[in-house]
Amino acid sequence: MDVLVLLGSFALFCAIGMPVAYALGMSAIAAAWYVDIPLEAIMLKISDGTDDFSLLAIPFFVLAGGIMAEGGMAIRLINLARIFVGFIRGGLAMVNIIASSFFGCISGSSVADTSAIGSVMIPQMVKAGFPRVFATNVTICGSVQALLIPPSHNAVIYSLAAGGTVSVAHLFLAGILPGLMFGICLIGLVLWISHKRGYPKGEPVKLKDVPKIFTDALWGLVTVVIIMGGILSGVFTPTESAAVACVYAFLVTFLVYRDYKWRELPRLVHRVVKTVSMVMMLIGFSVAFGYMMTMMQIPAKITYFFLSISENKYVFLFLVNILLLLLGTFMDLAPMLLICTPIFMPVIAKLGIDPVHFGMIMILNLGIGLITPPVGPTLFVGCAVGKVTMEQVSKELWPFYGAMCIALLLVTYVPAISLWLPGLMK
Amino acid sequence: MTLKRYYAQTMERLYILCVVLSGVALVAITLIIPFGVFMRYVMNNPQSWPEPASVVMMVLFSFVGGAAVYRANVHIAVESLTQAVSPRVRAYMGQLVQLLMALIAIFMIGYGLELCQITWHQSVPEFPGLPVGLVYGPIPLGGALTLLFLIEKVWVGPAPRTSIMFSDEAVEME
Repeated sequence: MDVLVLLGSFALFCAIGMPVAYALGMSAIAAAWYVDIPLEAIMLKISDGTDDFSLLAIPFFVLAGGIMAEGGMAIRLINLARIFVGFIRGGLAMVNIIASSFFGCISGSSVADTSAIGSVMIPQMVKAGFPRVFATNVTICGSVQALLIPPSHNAVIYSLAAGGTVSVAHLFLAGILPGLMFGICLIGLVLWISHKRGYPKGEPVKLKDVPKIFTDALWGLVTVVIIMGGILSGVFTPTESAAVACVYAFLVTFLVYRDYKWRELPRLVHRVVKTVSMVMMLIGFSVAFGYMMTMMQIPAKITYFFLSISENKYVFLFLVNILLLLLGTFMDLAPMLLICTPIFMPVIAKLGIDPVHFGMIMILNLGIGLITPPVGPTLFVGCAVGKVTMEQVSKELWPFYGAMCIALLLVTYVPAISLWLPGLMK
Repeated sequence: MTLKRYYAQTMERLYILCVVLSGVALVAITLIIPFGVFMRYVMNNPQSWPEPASVVMMVLFSFVGGAAVYRANVHIAVESLTQAVSPRVRAYMGQLVQLLMALIAIFMIGYGLELCQITWHQSVPEFPGLPVGLVYGPIPLGGALTLLFLIEKVWVGPAPRTSIMFSDEAVEME
């Protein structure tokens, strides 16, 4: 019954449209009241959730990504990608996807990626003769890479939700290959579609422009070197590396690129404040919710339930993927990570699944959920940027879902894709 | 000027204040942390205050910013069901949500203040003199701001599209 009060009230509050963060808090309060836990303890947990030093990495990564994206980084990364694949049939579609891989090195948000890459690439692709809907679909699907390729603030959220036992450095390293492999699956698909439908070839880049394009893009890509180098060498904590990346992003944008207008800065800060406080409220309330879940032994009960179905880890991973894909269509990435991770942690420990590997599965799976109707923030932004309707886009998304599910299956059943790089560190 | 319009105008100003406060805290943290790194590696003089100071500001920024986000309606919510039902049912659901929001805001104020009182006489180790209770202050503050914004929504209605809240969309680049 007490479990029903917590989970039932949460489902009810969400269903009637209460913001998820407050729904988490309200159901934690209701459950605490029901089982007679002092409500100050809940307030203490809410505050504990937000006053963790490692969480500071989240605003910094969002801010650094924002500065880079608006400071002219996107267009330079697109130019870089054009050198490699621009001249092939369907080249611009591939440029779009590869630019997203690069963009993932400065930002961890697929929404930011879609708006930054999409606002440049979609008009260019349409002008070159690609259908608008196809251009939009390529953009939103390619942007999912940003969630996996470091730096990713979602990896920081997962590390927190896993109880701090999984290192952010390992998650960052683990994300590189799954992110790239996801990109390769998409590239395979767009190549096939482009040949079948005869989409145009692009113009090769002039050789004399190549050095400048390289150096321009390199200034931005150095961000990821600072972050990864700093963390892996132990010079910075992940939080410090993110703050240093912010300062570096400012310097590059204002001293090297010099096409950012200072008066845009308050707007950028306004937007970052909105995004980050939304995530922080979610984290705070979800810690209180997680505390109540533990008090009611829900993770243990769920473990028991899964083990009673099957003790085979491959069957478990399959079931979890289906479950997360379904839930992910209704709910956003961050709350799902915060709610589901602590529930699954005991099961994966029992079954011997590496939590770093499991994190990659969850982030990729829920990342696909960001581009599925009815609730898909990346899909919404993509439609707005591409000036197409959600119906038009969803109709043609099926082959893309197919390619993404292949990538998800590979990440799920070939743990080495996630664990090889972090393994080199140990 | 009617009382209603006056209230809406005050809320708009309060929103700006929230965002400016959070924004300043964000920028301050961005400068403090690299400063800490600089002092540690370059000056060889590690400082103990940048970390706790940033954390205190982050809590402030989360709850004050969170209230502002509530006014701007950008908190993540599940809209599948509310979009599917008839407008009348949707209105009832909306009222229920507002009631629940009022409840949680009051909880945050009441129990948050109690938490502040209990911990008021302990001080933060890195800042002697700064009471722990003050660190929890943003919870009741965030609750109070949320409640004020909620009263605006119920009494005056949603803020107009011309509000500064919606002025932050990125400029599209060509």
